Amino acid sequence: MTMYNSSVDQRVDAALANNFLRQATRRATDRLRHNKYKATDELGSWEEWRNAGASIRSHVIENLDYYLQQLIQQTEKRGVQVHLAKTPEDAVAVVRDIVQKHDAKNVIKSKSMISEEIYLNHFLQADGVLSVETDLGEYIIQIAGEPPSHIIVPAMHKTRQQVADLFEPIAGHTLSSDTPTLTRFVRVRMREQFLRGDIGITGCNFAVANTGSIVMVTNEGNGRMVSTLPRVQITLMGMERIVPSFRELDVMLNLLARSATGQRLSSYTTILTPPRQSTESDGPEEFHLVILDHNRSEILGDKTFRPALNCIRCGACFNVCPVYRQIGGHAYGSVYSGPIGSVITPLLEKNWEKWGHLPFFSSLCGACSEACPVHIPLHDLLVKLRARKTISGHTPQIEQQIFKAYRYFFTHEKTLRRALRLGSRLQFPFVRNGRITGGPPPLSNWTKSRTLPMVAPKSFMQVWADLKLNRKSSE
Amino acid sequence: MKVSLFATCLTNAFYPGVDLTMAKILKYLGHSVDVPEGQACCGQIAFNSGYIDDAREVARTLIHSFERSEIVVSPSGSCIAMIHHYYPFLFEKEPVYLKKSEELIKKSYEFTQFLVDVLKKPDLGAKYPIKATYHPSCHATRLLGVDEAPYKLLEHVQGLELLPLAEAQLCCGFGGTFSVKMPKISEAMVAEKANHVLASGADLLLGIDMGCLMNIAGYLEKINKPVKTMHIIQLLGEGMKP
Amino acid sequence: MTNANDFISQLASKLGRSTPTVPPPLIDFHVPQYRLSNPGERSTIFLHNWQELGGKGVIVKTEDQTVSCLKEWFGDLPLSWIKDNPQAILAWDSLPTLAETAFSTLNWPLARYTMAAPDPRERYSIAAQAELGITGADWGIALSGTIVTNSSAQRGRAVSLLPPRHLAFIEASKLRDNLSEVLEEVSALGSPPSAIEMISGPSRTSDIEMDLSIGVHGPIEVYVIVIDT
Ligand code: SF4
Repeated sequence: MTMYNSSVDQRVDAALANNFLRQATRRATDRLRHNKYKATDELGSWEEWRNAGASIRSHVIENLDYYLQQLIQQTEKRGVQVHLAKTPEDAVAVVRDIVQKHDAKNVIKSKSMISEEIYLNHFLQADGVLSVETDLGEYIIQIAGEPPSHIIVPAMHKTRQQVADLFEPIAGHTLSSDTPTLTRFVRVRMREQFLRGDIGITGCNFAVANTGSIVMVTNEGNGRMVSTLPRVQITLMGMERIVPSFRELDVMLNLLARSATGQRLSSYTTILTPPRQSTESDGPEEFHLVILDHNRSEILGDKTFRPALNCIRCGACFNVCPVYRQIGGHAYGSVYSGPIGSVITPLLEKNWEKWGHLPFFSSLCGACSEACPVHIPLHDLLVKLRARKTISGHTPQIEQQIFKAYRYFFTHEKTLRRALRLGSRLQFPFVRNGRITGGPPPLSNWTKSRTLPMVAPKSFMQVWADLKLNRKSSE
Repeated sequence: MKVSLFATCLTNAFYPGVDLTMAKILKYLGHSVDVPEGQACCGQIAFNSGYIDDAREVARTLIHSFERSEIVVSPSGSCIAMIHHYYPFLFEKEPVYLKKSEELIKKSYEFTQFLVDVLKKPDLGAKYPIKATYHPSCHATRLLGVDEAPYKLLEHVQGLELLPLAEAQLCCGFGGTFSVKMPKISEAMVAEKANHVLASGADLLLGIDMGCLMNIAGYLEKINKPVKTMHIIQLLGEGMKP
Repeated sequence: MTNANDFISQLASKLGRSTPTVPPPLIDFHVPQYRLSNPGERSTIFLHNWQELGGKGVIVKTEDQTVSCLKEWFGDLPLSWIKDNPQAILAWDSLPTLAETAFSTLNWPLARYTMAAPDPRERYSIAAQAELGITGADWGIALSGTIVTNSSAQRGRAVSLLPPRHLAFIEASKLRDNLSEVLEEVSALGSPPSAIEMISGPSRTSDIEMDLSIGVHGPIEVYVIVIDT
């Protein structure tokens, strides 16, 4: 399921035509990127932290079986109900069951990408349950009926006025579009929701295997609300989101806060080791941990793409990506956008027809890999995904022919030389003022927005050969 | 030293002058230069498009042509990066060619890297009075780590005033086949890069990869704001003329 | 749902092995931690970073100083809050002695959260209507300007969350340089409390046009008093 029925081209066109979106994307990514640099520079040893982060993540993924087992044991021991979901459908079914069992009508949610991944709100709403996103950005896009456009600032594509327009029908009166007014409106409105919530649903940034702890970071405090007030809590986590112990958690929290928003620590870092003890005065009495696979185990089994599981969802790769910068998140069409979204979506969803464009949303400039706090070689994974797509037979015939021809000419340099000479003569119909300005596709894709120099009358290989010949004859 | 040139498919077909100038500079520095036959392309065009089998055969051909070379130098960081970064992956299941690609990696350099880091010759005595700006190509900087070398060469060009390029780290949108596969995104990217180039106030745009330069210059020409564009090799070649 | 053994053994097979029974080796990593060369500066640096985040703070040595700083921050407001709502100032069951005596001197009546009402929902709404929540703290982190609180039977988690103002007292001896020291001490506790809250400044968001806005869900004003006796 996707919120979009439009094609990739239509989405890209729409994004490129949306000037506010493009400005907003630049503003958000520039701001986040520069904040990150400040926070990483002050450490003075960012590379060492990155290396540590990368070793920790790789180690966890390579021992995921052990750590997941430990996490399950530790959480169950304390009375957490653990649910292992193979598929998004499984995960949705678990949540619906819990909601129905408690006859819950009000569900409050803090940010969870897994919830987006399994389209949970859609199903809960269909069941007649009021499921409210409480993160300001998530709330805005929930009302708008859109997926997140950025993994950290999900509603950065909306103007204040658009936000005010979305809030007004709910407020029942006009709202001025200044940020404090809008924020205050949400504070007041959400207070009622928080106090009324029967069930709280949260995401999970890290789960600590040896203590059975769930770690959440938020800046607004909604994560704390959702994990403190309702009687029942459901935490959704991707099965890879584990650290062995608090020792490693230190590194990961530093990397996450600094890479995501340039903070030393997020405003609220909450370490839950649920459920609440009988003598305690607040916190949920019943705690469910839903652990989602959704083809993550397939990625685990595939050494080439295994590093994709190292991701800590910090969004740093979004903020340096020149493609994301131009088109924002929605043009990708997927819940996870940006470089990491282009890597994991095809792997999680396993549908080349639908997601085959994503690995090509990259010029392979490598900025993402350079930014990633856990050293995921994102551009390598993107190019390797392209190869997977080709091998799976999902590329056009004509393209396959072109590369067959390419292979032939570029393994037969003498023939190539002759072909270039021929090309330099045949190009004239397309030449204006010494430049190629038109031609058949795919050449026309270039010449629509750029000129192309003419094929030289003599290729360098020919020039050199002739020079050598002259030298010999003059000797 | 005996230096073999790797002419790259792009300069071979469109900019033979860049390769020729590179040869002249190396000769001027007292090295003997050859251009092994059979070389055509690093294979990146196919590799980046997902056609790794086709890429592998082109790569194999390239490996063969430089087998007897001592040093391989190319005017493109991107092509050298392809060899360094991806040949071991292409041949991961072929021990013989894996070894051959490792040998090639050890002896191959991008031009500015070779001049500055290997030959330690950042000063060629070139003179070229102009206001210029420099676009650091992504593959050269990020994949190959060629970061300082071009600046060192430019520092020593007399009369050259190097103006900063805003958001220089941003990709120009070329990306090889990306530019025709995702033409609109690519156009948006090059448009931004072109704006930064125009805003720099430079009369000359410099680079070390003809792909990127062809892209930026082609766009600037299309919007009728042509800016003179040169590979650093061309600048040095011109500047060294008596 | 999938049974845990099956789920895990599937993962193990993806890793090319059978389910491991012995723990993997400790991960070998090193990060240069932030350490103060002069621990005497810790309180000042903690406070500086807390204030940078938008919190108010002060270091006190005596009860008198505490009283006068509370007066300076809140003036006579608390007395007017109390008139409308006797539970307007909500606190943990016990606070550091210096804090307790300061409040008696000021004659600001503290309502104790755990005793405010028998039903949790009622307690939440009392907390939501309170004007000021007062807590102690278990640790502080100088580098990030963070206070850390453990949950327990005598301490409501909602006290530092629902009222629009949060005031925390922390003994200088509980300040640490960095997060890793705190987490090390948490580990040493054996089994962690059900909730550890690390609070760095007021609630904030930049979700609308990247415009920083304070106090979206959590406290809008945050205060810390470092007790250095
Ligand atoms: S891939 Fe790396 S940079 Fe991107 S979100 Fe994940 S951890 Fe952050």
